[in-house]
Amino acid sequence: MFPTPIAKTGPLTRRFYMISLPVALILWLLPLIAVLLTSVRSAGDINAGNYWGWPTQWNLVENYTAIFTSSPIGQYLFNSFKITVPTVIASVGLSCLAGFALGTYRFKANLFVFFVFIAGNFVPFQILMVPVRDLTLKLGLYDTVTGLVLFHTAFQTGFCTLFMRNFIKALPFELIEAARVDGASEFVIFRRIVLPLMRPAIAALAVLIFTFVWNDYFWAQVLVQGDSAMPVTGGLKSLNGLYVASWHLVSAGSIVAALPPVAMFFLMQKHFIAGLTLGATKG
Amino acid sequence: MAAISLKKLNKSFGPLTVVHDIDLEIGDKEFLILVGPSGCGKSTTLRMIAGLEEITSGELWIGDEMVNDVPSKDRDIAMVFQNYALYPHMTVYKNMAFGLHLRRAPKEETDAKVRETAKILDIEHLLNRKPKALSGGQRQRVALGRAMVRDPAVFLLDEPLSNLDAKLRGTMRAEISKLHKRLDATFIYVTHDQVEAMTMADRIVVMRGGHILQVDTPQNLYDRPINMFVAGFIGAPQMNMLEVTVKRSGDGWVGLFDGLELPLPLGEKADRLIPYEGRTVVLGLRPENLHEAMPVGVAPEATATLEAQVELAEPMGAEVHLNILAGGHSMIARVSPRCKARDGDRVSLIADLGSPHLFDKETEQSILY
Repeated sequence: MFPTPIAKTGPLTRRFYMISLPVALILWLLPLIAVLLTSVRSAGDINAGNYWGWPTQWNLVENYTAIFTSSPIGQYLFNSFKITVPTVIASVGLSCLAGFALGTYRFKANLFVFFVFIAGNFVPFQILMVPVRDLTLKLGLYDTVTGLVLFHTAFQTGFCTLFMRNFIKALPFELIEAARVDGASEFVIFRRIVLPLMRPAIAALAVLIFTFVWNDYFWAQVLVQGDSAMPVTGGLKSLNGLYVASWHLVSAGSIVAALPPVAMFFLMQKHFIAGLTLGATKG
Repeated sequence: MAAISLKKLNKSFGPLTVVHDIDLEIGDKEFLILVGPSGCGKSTTLRMIAGLEEITSGELWIGDEMVNDVPSKDRDIAMVFQNYALYPHMTVYKNMAFGLHLRRAPKEETDAKVRETAKILDIEHLLNRKPKALSGGQRQRVALGRAMVRDPAVFLLDEPLSNLDAKLRGTMRAEISKLHKRLDATFIYVTHDQVEAMTMADRIVVMRGGHILQVDTPQNLYDRPINMFVAGFIGAPQMNMLEVTVKRSGDGWVGLFDGLELPLPLGEKADRLIPYEGRTVVLGLRPENLHEAMPVGVAPEATATLEAQVELAEPMGAEVHLNILAGGHSMIARVSPRCKARDGDRVSLIADLGSPHLFDKETEQSILY
């Protein structure tokens, strides 16, 4: 077996592993630890250059309350949800349907359509920056949540469809044929046979897209100007004062902003099930 | 009524034609088996009947309706797949009830039907399990049950037993035969196993390369194969094929083989050999027609004695298969377990040529069919 399980290696290797693992872990997590620590410091600590030392003052409650009172971060968070949740539902939903069609039916343009979906992923979005901004302006969607939702959905569906199509293609096709002979219409096959088996894929994709869209900063900057539609990623900078950088507040805001994707992961975790199709075929 | 007729049925995948001009009449309530080597088009033919493959050209009639463009779900058929294709997220009960549920059958009726079928198949105790908690044989039964509850006019079975172990296959073979009698439906069954074909079928269709070679009852197929392929395919161990030179002898014919004159008693078909006089033909000899002693009830003038060397003796329990070498030909003889011949021994075997199979060497067609 490769790699050899640590438990089976020599004592020297094992000791080295035991020591280097925590070191690597701490190094890896250092930026996050720094942000966590900074988020509970006082402004004085930062001004005094105490970036890595023990905080002189624990401002946990003060800092985390301050971000909500001194800035519209509540509004930003709410905007983020308003952008992310519909995008996840729309792109995962659409890609389930598109993936089912591309994965199940043999038609002439099948591969071509599939390639179009894939090709969309290769377009660097910086190229789209100006045309998309102009488009949203013309459609009256500039600086709106709807504009962001539409754009994100359009952009994420390509990847989602690639993912879903391949997942459905890997399901035993006899299941679909069996259902057809059993008398199921194509929609019933999708709804009753394919969709239940796609649960792990849907969960994985939902987490992924949620994180992508939630963490988006670029399009928030391009398509949004005011506070009304600004998601939390773009809104964090408002925690800095006009003349002073309040890194402790920005850090606290960042932590709050990072929590929903983590929560989403744990929420969806129970749906990541391997071997859902076990028993369908002879096995 | 669920007689099925296939008229000049063709199936092509792009430039590749896998089923050529199949004509076949399947009677109502018949048990018809399609056999042939892999890639012969038997499964494709079945799938066309099921509506899972589009028909490239030709007509498919079920009853008195042409169903070329009728989707599977409206064809009144049920199918059992080689890999069972059970819905893995549903319990056995739901797997079986799915078809009825889709037809909006009343709940009580569905329930009664599922339980009755489960009882017949002896899977009542499994109704609440999911397919992954079942053994191969149990899954097979559930797949059968799912087809049965629908009470279709036609059952299509695509190598349903090929994933089971030998013992279970034997049991299930009998079960399916019983089921056919009980259900009063037309069965079309695909297999590459000639034992299944011989034991279960009313009629067998032998296919090769997308063509039907012969359609007949199992016994007729065995006794009167139309060509060398069918002769070799039906029957295990395979028929022995010897090249003999045809010669007149008195008012009959003999075949010259390894310096021996093998009698060819053809009765009224003797004329058929006239064009072959002096030429080489292939003589088919079933392994059970080679005996270690003169068999009872066989006319001695229709036999010949072959001197052979035993290359390998395979004891099967009820019989012994002798792999022998005679006149440079490898052959197999099925003899009784009393035969004491061992590897390397020389034996004399009596060939019973009472009803010989003769094939044209070039066309491989039977001369006597």
